[in-house]
Amino acid sequence: MTLEKLRRIDNTKIEVPLDYKPGMRVKGIIYVDTVLEQELEPQSVEQVANVATLPGIMKSSMAMPDVHTGYGFTIGGVAAFDLKEGIVSPGGVGYDINCGVRLLKSNFKKDEVIPKIKDLVTMLYSEIPSGVGSKGKIRLKSEDERRLLLKGARWAVEQGFGDAGDLEKMESNGCIDGADPSLISDKAYERGKAQQGTLGSGNHFLEVQYVDEIYDEHAANNLGLFHDQITVMIHTGSRGFGHQVCTDFIQVMAKAASKYKIELPDRELACAPFGSAEAQDYLAAMKAAANYAWANRQCIMHWTREAFMKVFRISQGKLGMTLIYDVAHNIAKVEEHQVNGKTMKLVVHRKGATRAFPPGHPELPEIYRHIGQPVLIPGDMGRASFVLLGTEKAMQETFGSTCHGAGRVMSRHQAVRMAKGRAIWREMEDKGIIVMAAGRGTLAEEMSEAYKDISNVVDVVHNAGISKKVARLRPIGVIKG
Amino acid sequence: MNKFEILDISGDVGIKAFGKDIKEAFVHAALGMFSLITDLETIQVKKAIDVTVESDSLDGLIVSWLNELIFHFDTYGFIGRKIEVNEFTPTLTLPSPRRVFDPRGEGKGEGEVDKIASQPTYKIKASIRGEEFDQQRHEGRLLIKAATYHKLKIEKKHGMFEIRVIFDI
Repeated sequence: MTLEKLRRIDNTKIEVPLDYKPGMRVKGIIYVDTVLEQELEPQSVEQVANVATLPGIMKSSMAMPDVHTGYGFTIGGVAAFDLKEGIVSPGGVGYDINCGVRLLKSNFKKDEVIPKIKDLVTMLYSEIPSGVGSKGKIRLKSEDERRLLLKGARWAVEQGFGDAGDLEKMESNGCIDGADPSLISDKAYERGKAQQGTLGSGNHFLEVQYVDEIYDEHAANNLGLFHDQITVMIHTGSRGFGHQVCTDFIQVMAKAASKYKIELPDRELACAPFGSAEAQDYLAAMKAAANYAWANRQCIMHWTREAFMKVFRISQGKLGMTLIYDVAHNIAKVEEHQVNGKTMKLVVHRKGATRAFPPGHPELPEIYRHIGQPVLIPGDMGRASFVLLGTEKAMQETFGSTCHGAGRVMSRHQAVRMAKGRAIWREMEDKGIIVMAAGRGTLAEEMSEAYKDISNVVDVVHNAGISKKVARLRPIGVIKG
Repeated sequence: MNKFEILDISGDVGIKAFGKDIKEAFVHAALGMFSLITDLETIQVKKAIDVTVESDSLDGLIVSWLNELIFHFDTYGFIGRKIEVNEFTPTLTLPSPRRVFDPRGEGKGEGEVDKIASQPTYKIKASIRGEEFDQQRHEGRLLIKAATYHKLKIEKKHGMFEIRVIFDI
């Protein structure tokens, strides 16, 4: 590996120069400070460089500080392509299409919830299906599923899960236009039938948290956040439905890449020109999966509210549990950006990266337009999560993007080995965090030490100016798959 | 001889499967994958499913084979412990357009048919015996989203077939 070729630009980023590898059309930029640079995997740098060779890539191939090696594209990668010369790649979105995060606020303060946290976690665990081989409470008939794919979170609201007021507080209002259910394979339909309203497994979770530090009072006020307030964070995506859509289209794209004579340094970068039928079909199917995910998080939010209402025997009005925001961190979108002083439409791929639009952006809901887009960054289950806001600098530097989470530093087996003989749940309980997980191995694999420290990751994007910190949230109850 | 090994890579999980012929390596790859989902020893033989997968490359065949089994697990909860390969052919037959995922039906176009017909088609037909996953009785290990082409390798080593495949989890 030729890591010595990397050049530090400033405290928060390094450059992967054009001569790092043959065929690079643009340079690479990796947002890391000197601490996180030590954890940078050579394979991730290689992947950033590989993405830089794809046709029509604009400005640079970027990676956020939570970068780690993925399939083709890194996790934590951002790449934007010109609509005329550029490509669309399912690998730039990932298997879990519209994996994302939503954050709910409440009227509760932490002292009111802590005495009942065990009951609450147990109730949430029984209300929200999770884990390997779990079955959801919703069974979709084909006709329902088709409607869901077109309507996203609105479908869930129409079924009685939550209310219409929730919809404006989601990226794309919880539904991207242009989904085409006729492009979805029978397999994806089948796989999606029983998985709506399920959390999944692995790093997906539902957390009961409290606001333990506020960095920006004005912004926190505008978001309705206050010190010691109870919040709930939900991290999940489009489940087996989205995985099947990606699996199907990786095959389609592998053929397309050779048909359009696109040279690929890695098969997982399989792609097609933006204007081709293959790329347009993928985007229309990806949108359907994105909508599936928004509906999924909406259903789970509804059951979360119900669990709180049951445990505390209060009304929804008193609970005051409403949505702050919902972000997608695995998605490709056509957006307007400035390139060399010109406004251009680009297709921006964010794989393990979060949109971070600045104040005043027309795509933001009215209520947040003056402060910028809320950015939700989950950490590992033992440390913290963060709320940030999008900035103008993100718009200029990263196509309005920032990090998405902590990023692993340890393989799952390493983590399991390290956890041997330890009771992770008890260690967590000693720290005041009640955890319930379906899988025996999940807690070991997901323990804090297996991840980068989220605070370091968030400090890099804050110091780089591509988003700004508003509040830190600490977990007190965790549901895992 | 080991049937398979688990590969431990940061953030990923994969398997290396071995076989005295390619058929056996495919079977062991599938069993290796099932062992990532739950403890193979706890799976009982209660029902059987038949699976047929085709691809225009051997790499494509192993990825599609494993993805087909992931589909059956993720959709119907079916997990196997005994696998019998009834047919494994590198032939020159035309794949049925219905089996190839082809949203626009372009594979049925005349030019495409000629192209496909001239390519070798790899095919595996197998019967898998096992049962439906039950959260009460079976340990839930990893939720596998898909088999990937990432660092995929099929090679012959010391007279054995060796398949290396990484999963998205």
